Amino acid sequence: MAPPTSSFVARWWVAVDPIEEILEAGKRRADEAEVWLATGSSVAAMLRKRKISSATGSDHQTLSIRVIKGGRIGVSSTDDPSSWEECLGAALRSAALAAPQEWEGLPASSEKTDGFVNFDESAVPDPEQVRDLVSGMEEGADRHPVEIISGNAQISQYRVVLANTHGLYCEDRESMVSMGLETIRDQSTGYEYEASWKMDIDPVSVGERAAFLAATSHGGKDIPTGTYDVVLSPDALGQLMGATFLPALSGRNVHAGRSRLAPLLGQEVCDPALSLIDDPMHPRGLGSCLWDGEGTPTGVLTLVERGVLRCFAYDLKTAYQFGKETTGNAVRSGMGGGVTIGFHCMTLDGPRGEIGGEDALWVHDVIGAHTANPLTGDFSVELANAYLCRGGNPEYPVRKAMLSGNVFDMLRDIRGLSREEKVVGCCVLPSIRLKNQKIIGI
Amino acid sequence: MEGVRYFDIRHVRGEVSHIDIENTRVESAGTTFLDRAIIRVLGPKGWGFLAVDHFERPRGRKFDELLGKAAALGSLTGEEVVLADAPAGMLPVPHRKVDPLDIDLEEKGRVLLEIERAARLPAIASTRAGYTEKYEDVRFEDSCGNEYSYSLVRSGYSILAVAERSGDMQIGSKRQHAIQDFPLYHRQEDGETAARRAIALLDARRARGGIMNAVLDPELAGVFAHEAVGHASEADLVQEGGSVLGGKAGERIGSGIVTIVDDPALPEFGFEPVDAEGSRVERTTLVEDGVLSSYLHSRETVPAVGFGHPGNARAMPGEPPQVRMSNTYIAEGTSTPEELIEECRDGFLLCGSRGGQVDPGRGVFQFNAEYGYLIERGECGGMVRDVSLSGEILATLHNISLCAKERKMHPGYCGKGGQTVPVSDGAPHVLVRGAVVGGRGPD
Repeated sequence: MAPPTSSFVARWWVAVDPIEEILEAGKRRADEAEVWLATGSSVAAMLRKRKISSATGSDHQTLSIRVIKGGRIGVSSTDDPSSWEECLGAALRSAALAAPQEWEGLPASSEKTDGFVNFDESAVPDPEQVRDLVSGMEEGADRHPVEIISGNAQISQYRVVLANTHGLYCEDRESMVSMGLETIRDQSTGYEYEASWKMDIDPVSVGERAAFLAATSHGGKDIPTGTYDVVLSPDALGQLMGATFLPALSGRNVHAGRSRLAPLLGQEVCDPALSLIDDPMHPRGLGSCLWDGEGTPTGVLTLVERGVLRCFAYDLKTAYQFGKETTGNAVRSGMGGGVTIGFHCMTLDGPRGEIGGEDALWVHDVIGAHTANPLTGDFSVELANAYLCRGGNPEYPVRKAMLSGNVFDMLRDIRGLSREEKVVGCCVLPSIRLKNQKIIGI
Repeated sequence: MEGVRYFDIRHVRGEVSHIDIENTRVESAGTTFLDRAIIRVLGPKGWGFLAVDHFERPRGRKFDELLGKAAALGSLTGEEVVLADAPAGMLPVPHRKVDPLDIDLEEKGRVLLEIERAARLPAIASTRAGYTEKYEDVRFEDSCGNEYSYSLVRSGYSILAVAERSGDMQIGSKRQHAIQDFPLYHRQEDGETAARRAIALLDARRARGGIMNAVLDPELAGVFAHEAVGHASEADLVQEGGSVLGGKAGERIGSGIVTIVDDPALPEFGFEPVDAEGSRVERTTLVEDGVLSSYLHSRETVPAVGFGHPGNARAMPGEPPQVRMSNTYIAEGTSTPEELIEECRDGFLLCGSRGGQVDPGRGVFQFNAEYGYLIERGECGGMVRDVSLSGEILATLHNISLCAKERKMHPGYCGKGGQTVPVSDGAPHVLVRGAVVGGRGPD
C-alpha cells in the first residue's frame, strides 16, 4: 500500500461537528430534527490517449438538516456546515410549505449501527495509487491492437454521521475505487469500467476488456431484422432495469399511481426462476450499509421471490403516509439533500449456468436505455459491442442494430443467468439470456 | 510562483430551490445552499485541479500553498498542455423579465399547483409537477489578471400526467425552463396538454420498426443536432481520437441544406455571458451548407486540434471546465411542415423527446420520441407510441432532404463526463430519408 499523502487524506477534522448544537436548536423550533453530515476527499486522474492530462483532488462537505413539525417535513442542505443556522431556518421554512401527513417519529437509537461494511483502509485517496491504476489499465489495453481514447481512475473516502433528536447517532465510513477506459479501433469503440469499495479491482483486466471490445467489434456486419435469442451483459441489463423495473418497485411510485406493478402484489411478475433481492450486506455492494439514510436498520428485502411480487420498498415518509412499514430503503439522494426511496444492493437470483451454448446475439452494451418508457417498460435501444454467436462461439461482430422490447415482458420468460456477476451502480447482476427478442437490422 | 505556468479560480455561491407536488400535495419544497470552487493550476506539463466546498480565497503565503497543492497534483500528468490566447470580455447578462427571486416560494407553489390541477382530467391516474430554480453568483480570476463576476438565475418546471385504462399506463409531459425569468405564470394549459397527450397515447398504436422516412419535429430535430453533431464536434473528443468528425475539417459531411450552429451568446437556456475559463463567447457555425466548418473549443483544444476558436468551456460549480455545447440548432430551410409530410410519403412524424445518447467515436446515435404519427401516402394519420430513431451520424446528415422554415428552441440539460449543464436545442421540422426507426409494433 502506498503511504497516504497528507493533503488528500480525508480531513475528518475539517468541520467541527456542530451536530449536537443543531439538534438542540432544531428541537426548540420543531417536533423532531435530524442531521446528516458527510465529509470526505477524493483523488482522480484523467487519461487522454496515453498520457495523464489532469489530476484532481477534492474536499467535500455536505450538511443536510431535516425537521418535522406537525407532520410537515422540511429539509435543507449546505456545502458550508458552519452556516448551519441558515440551513436550519431554510428547513423550517420548507416544512411550513409541505403538506402535513401522518407521522410517527424518526427512529430511536439502535444497536445495529456500529461498524463499517464498505470501508477499506487501504483505499487511500493518494495520487500515486491513482496513477498506478491508470498505468494498469494502459498495460491491459496493450494486449489488443487499439488506441486509447480516454480513461479515469478515482479513489475516495467519506465519513457520514447521522443523528436525530431521539438519540440516534450513527457513524459510517465508506471508500470507493472506480476506473474506466475507452478505446477505439478505426470506428469500433469499447468501454469498460469497474467500481468497488475496496482495492480489489485489477486495472489490467479492465484495460484488457475495454481493448478487447473495440478490437473484436472491428469489421462488423449487418444482420437481418428478426427475432433472436439475446444475451444481455450485466451492464446492458442494469441500464434497462434501472430505467423501468426498479422504479416500479418504489413504494412512492406505487402509491402515487406511477407503477405498473402496483396491482400485482402476490402475483407472478417475472419468470418463476427469478428472484429480485435487495441485500444491504452484499459483500460487493457499493451501497452496502447497516442502517439506511434515516437510521432504520437495514435487512434483506425479497421484492420478487421465484417470480412472485412479494413487496415494495419504503422509507419512513411513504410508509407513514400510506400505512405501511419502512423497509429501510431510504437513501440520501432526494431533493434538497433529503431522503428518497432507493436500493442498497439489488441482486437478481436464479439458476446459474452456461448461457452461451447455443445461437444467440450477445450484447455487451446499449445506447439510450434511459429513453425507455419508465411506466410501460417499452424500449428501443441501439446495440454496442454486439456479437452474433453460433454454437456458443462468436461468429462475427454486429455493425449496427436496434433491440426493441419491453423490460417487464422480457423478464417473464428467460433462458438462464450466468455464473459471473458484475457491480453495476446499485446492483450486482449476472448476464441474462432472453428468448425471441426483436432486432431491427437491415 | 515557480512551476506554475497559469492558474484560475472559478467560485460559485448560490441557492437552489425546489417544489415537488404530487397528486395535488406539496410533498417537498425548500432551498439548499451552494458554495463550491475549482482551482486549476497548469504546471510544467498538465493540469492539477483542486475542488473545494465552502471556499474562502486565501491571500499571501496561504494562497501560494493552495496553488502548490494543485501543482503537486499536476506533477502526475504527462500531457503537454498549451493554452491558446482567447479574447476576454463578458456579455451583459439579460435583464430579469420577471425576477423569480422576488417571488416567494409559497406563490411559486400556488402557481405550480394550478398547472398540476389543470392536468387532473378524468382518465388521469397520477400527476406530478416540479419546479427548480438555481441562482448562481459566479466569480472568476486567472493569473493573467482577468477577473469577472456575474449572477444568473435559471428556473424551470415540468408537469407529468399518467393516464390509465385497463392496466395500460401512458405518460404525457410538458416542461419549460428559462433564464432570468419566471416561466410559470399563465401556463395552466400545459397541464391540460400533458394530460390530453397521455390519454391519447392510450389509444396510440405501437410503431413498427424498420428503415423508413421520418419527419422530426423541431424538438426532436434539435436533439438530433445536439446528440449526433454537437457532441462529435467537441474538440476534446476530437483530440482524444474519439469523434467520427475528427480529420474532416472543411469536408462535406452532410446534405447541402444542413447548417448547424452553436451560440452561447443567444439569450436561451444555454446562455453563458463568458465561458468557464474566461473566454469571450461567440457563435460557432459547426456545419455550413453540409460542410464541417468548425469544432467547439476550450483554450486547451485550439492548439491541439485547431479549426475553431475558444469560448465553449463550461462547468458545473466546483468542477473543471469541459468543452460543451450551449444553444445548438439546425438553421431554417424554406419548406413548410406540410410539404415535408407530403414529401415523406410513407413513414412517421416523430414528436417531442425522451432524451438521446451518442457514441461519437463510433458515430452512432439513438433518441426516443415522446409520441408520433403514422404518415401514409403523404398524409398524417394515427398516433403511435414508443418510437425511437437511431442512425449513423454521417449517413443521416446526408439523408436530410428538407428543412422547414420555422425554427423553435427547447431548453434542457446535457450530461457529459459526470457533469450536467443547461442547454437548448432547436431546429425546424426536418425530413430524414432511410432512417432506422425503432418500435416493437406488429410486423
